[in-house]
Amino acid sequence: MDSSPANRAFAKQIGVTFPLLSDFNRKVSKEYGILNTEHGFANRTTFVVNKQGIITHIDKDREALDPTGAHNACSLMAHREAEQKK
Amino acid sequence: MKGNFKAAAALLVLALVVPILSQCSSAEKSATAKPDAKATASAPEPAPLKVGDKAPDFTLPDQNGKKISLSQFQGKENVVLAFYVLAFTGG
Repeated sequence: MDSSPANRAFAKQIGVTFPLLSDFNRKVSKEYGILNTEHGFANRTTFVVNKQGIITHIDKDREALDPTGAHNACSLMAHREAEQKK
Repeated sequence: MKGNFKAAAALLVLALVVPILSQCSSAEKSATAKPDAKATASAPEPAPLKVGDKAPDFTLPDQNGKKISLSQFQGKENVVLAFYVLAFTGG
């Protein structure tokens, strides 16, 4: 929900190499059902989405601070893809 | 300042992890800052998404103003979508 210029400054500050998107009007946070309407912020959540656009893993709140779950979900998808190619 | 550092460190972790996830491209969606007057309290809450649901498509500007859609990765890459509250302001 930070504005794009705020994200640009932040991205520069920490040197990110991936897109840092801005949901300034909270539309997407709402669509994903993670907007906390009490204070208007999104809850910290990580979604892993496969190539078919299906959600394969969700980490919420404290879990979302630890990338292990998302990492494992990605490894699993990579493994399945490799299996399918055999 | 302390809060800012905390947020930056957490994001850095993600930045460091992403290259390891060779199959996953990462679209980092940061969240929030200024609470606006037209709050969303009256809108009905959509059901939270579950594993197995289709991820709703969206198009949002990245840090350089370039529009990024979830659908542009479909059929090509897996995506890690991290909603980060108060990424810039610290939290």
